[in-house]
Formats: sequence, C-alpha cells, structure tokens
Amino acid sequence: MEENVHFLYPAAIFASKTPHLVTTILGSCVAVCLYDPTLRIGGINHFMLPLWNGQGLASPKYGNIAIEKLIEKMVSLGCDAGRLQAKVFGGGEVIQSNVSQFNIGARNIRIAFDLLEEYKIPIVGQSVGGKFGRKILYNTETFEVKQKIIQKTITGNQI
Amino acid sequence: MSRLSDQELIDELQRRFEENRKTIQELKELTEELKIVNKKLEESEALKSHFISNITNEIINPFTSILGLSRSILSVKKENWKKVISMVALIHSEAFNLDFQLRNIFLAAKIEAGEIYPEILNVDLKNLVKSVIDSFRIEAKKKNLSFEFNFEIVPEKGDVFYFKTDPEKVKLAIANLISNAIKFSYENGKIIIRVWKDDEMVHISVQDFGTGISEANQKIIFDRFKRLDSGINSLNRGHGLGLSINKAVIDLLQGKISIKSEINKGATFTISIPEAKTNIAGFSADGNEFLFDTDEIF
Repeated sequence: MEENVHFLYPAAIFASKTPHLVTTILGSCVAVCLYDPTLRIGGINHFMLPLWNGQGLASPKYGNIAIEKLIEKMVSLGCDAGRLQAKVFGGGEVIQSNVSQFNIGARNIRIAFDLLEEYKIPIVGQSVGGKFGRKILYNTETFEVKQKIIQKTITGNQI
Repeated sequence: MSRLSDQELIDELQRRFEENRKTIQELKELTEELKIVNKKLEESEALKSHFISNITNEIINPFTSILGLSRSILSVKKENWKKVISMVALIHSEAFNLDFQLRNIFLAAKIEAGEIYPEILNVDLKNLVKSVIDSFRIEAKKKNLSFEFNFEIVPEKGDVFYFKTDPEKVKLAIANLISNAIKFSYENGKIIIRVWKDDEMVHISVQDFGTGISEANQKIIFDRFKRLDSGINSLNRGHGLGLSINKAVIDLLQGKISIKSEINKGATFTISIPEAKTNIAGFSADGNEFLFDTDEIF
C-alpha cells in the first residue's frame, strides 16, 4: 500500500481530494484540521501568529488568514462549509515566559476557537496548550489524528 | 459606619505599610530584571548591526564579481576566448560562496524563529562527507591546500555504511568546518578529515595546521556573530554565524561539537552525533508503512 505522505511546513496550508497522511510539528503554532464527512475530504493549516496586522503580506502564517484560506480551499474542492468539522492542535507554551503578552500559544488557540465559532464549525477533537510540543499525523480520509507529545524543547538560550 | 479602635487602626496601617513595602521591593526587582534584559538587548542589537555590515559584504561582493565577470565575458574578443575559462572559474567560485553563505543565513533565520526540526533519512555517510569535501576543492586549490580523507568505519553488512541522520544539516555543519579550516590554513597546507565511530556515536573531525585558536577564544567561538578579530584589517571574510549554527544544528541532532587547538599549530573540530532514533518522514524498512510513534488518537 503506497500512502501519500505530506510534511506540512509552518505557515502552509494543505487540502486534497485524494487521501493523504499529513504530518507536522507544533510548538506554539496551532494547526486546525477541517473535514467534510460526506465527501471524506480533509484539509489542515499550520499558523504561527494569531492575527495579521494589516501590514505586509496577508500570509497564512497568521491565524485569521490561515483559517479563512483553508475554508475557501475546502469549499473550492467541493466541500459544503456547513458540513465541516474541526480538530484543533498545538499552542503549547514551549518558550517559558512570565510576560503574558508573549504567550503566543494561548493567543493562537484563542483565535482558532473564536474564528471556528464565528464560522459555526464544530470542534469535535482537540489537544491544545500545555508546556510541550506536538507531532501530529492527520489521515485526511478518516479524520483520524494521531498525536505524539514532544517533551524536549529547544530552549531559548541555545539559540 | 463602624468605628475602628486605635489598635485596629494601627494594625490596618501596619498591614498597608507592609503591603507597600512589598510592592516597592517587587518593583525594584522588576526594574533590575528589566535593566539586565535591556543590556542584553543592546548587546544583541550591536552584534546584529555588526552582522548586517558583514553580511552585506558577504552578499554584495560575490554579486559584484559575478556581474562584472559575466559582462566582460559578453564583450570578450574571439582571440581572447581562453580567458573566458578562468573567468567562468571565478564566477563559479563566487557563486559557490554565495550559495553556501545564503544557506547558512537562512538556516540561522530558522534557528532564530525556533522553527528548526531534524529531517531524518538513511544516509550514505561516506558519500555525504566526500561530496562536501569535493565541493571545496576549487576553494582549497586557491591556497594550494590538499585534503586527506580517512573514512574509518567498516560497514557491518554490504559495502555502504548507512547512518540515520539529517543529511542537509550534517552537510552544512561539515561545510562550515571545512570552510573555516581553509580560511585559517597557511598556504600549501593540508586538511585532514576523519570519520570514525564508537558504540554510541559517529565522529567527524576536521583538522587544519593553520593559525589555531587561543584558549580564551575557544570559549566564545560558538557565540553568534562573533568573529575573533573583527577589525577592518581582518583579511578573512565571514559573517560569524558558521560555528554558532553548527552548535545549534548539532544540539538539534543531540550531538556534541568539540575543539582542540594550539596557536600556530592548527585546530581540530570534532562533531559527534548519535544515530537518530525518531523518524519524522520515515517509512518502515519495507517502505509500506508510515512509521508514527503515537501517544493519543483524536
């Protein structure tokens, strides 16, 4: 059995009509997996920051852009926006900081939840927050998402 | 409204006083912390602007040469066509440098953004090291340096020794060491590259017989942007990122990098890395199953 495996890079979006296994690694980034159960089509994004500030490129690096673009892409593949379901992963606090404004992870999670509610897409599974990273493997045909916790983080002072 | 007795008033005052004292203490500590952070930021700012001026040279100079040389080639006369070959050689050398430095800079940016992950493959290690050495042959020729390559690992089965690691990152790490070895070698010298293994790790060492590094400097060479003599007179180019990138990359692969050196006798850098256990984009041995270590399923 030859499986299509796709490694999703940060700030990228992936959706396909053919079944894929999509894998990505999340620290403070968040990935939203969307799925249309009728067509069995799945898509996923991987965003790094919550909001596009209106300057520069409106890239899917930002949560509000990434979620909107992913829904658009799913619809362009024939999915019905009203049927979509979501699973949300990531947003860990991997770089310890006492300053709450810097807590990118929590802000990324927040924007994902807020926007999915706005688009009326139910969240049927999630693993967010915590002080660790995650590696996920998303089967776009079945909507199954396998997760591996990554405890060891690259600390700031190494970089 | 209830009235407080004198004692209650005094107690309340004391409590508030104590609270104030604590707040002031906290403020003081925070200010201290801020001062330290500020100092670090200033240092990093200075290093960065220094870095930018270095990097500008690193990118602009090769481009200027490439542009100039290719323009000369366009206007070369038929009887001078032999000169073209040497010009093309120069263009190649400048483009090679540019490519190498840009790879370093992009990786450094990734490291800074914290978005760097090992991409593990099954690697023919001998070929990988050899390809890096070969890519520096032209550079080495300029100083008439020779390479000695000793691959001391005997594969357990078959002819090729395979090792699970991130080939691109290991390549760049070795390239940085060889590039430095060339930079700091005296003319007509030799550079020895050795690869061997013990029970736990594979070791790759690059030895030169050049200027060497003093003990004091050995401690700071892995710091970002720092080049040992950063004066205008320094003959050697470089952005001072190489070794700090190497350290970050080798840390990522859970390895170690060590240095032995004596002034005017040369330096030996050794990278030691364990075989990678995790497969990020790895298939099982028969290539049918995508391997994924799972904690939980959603």
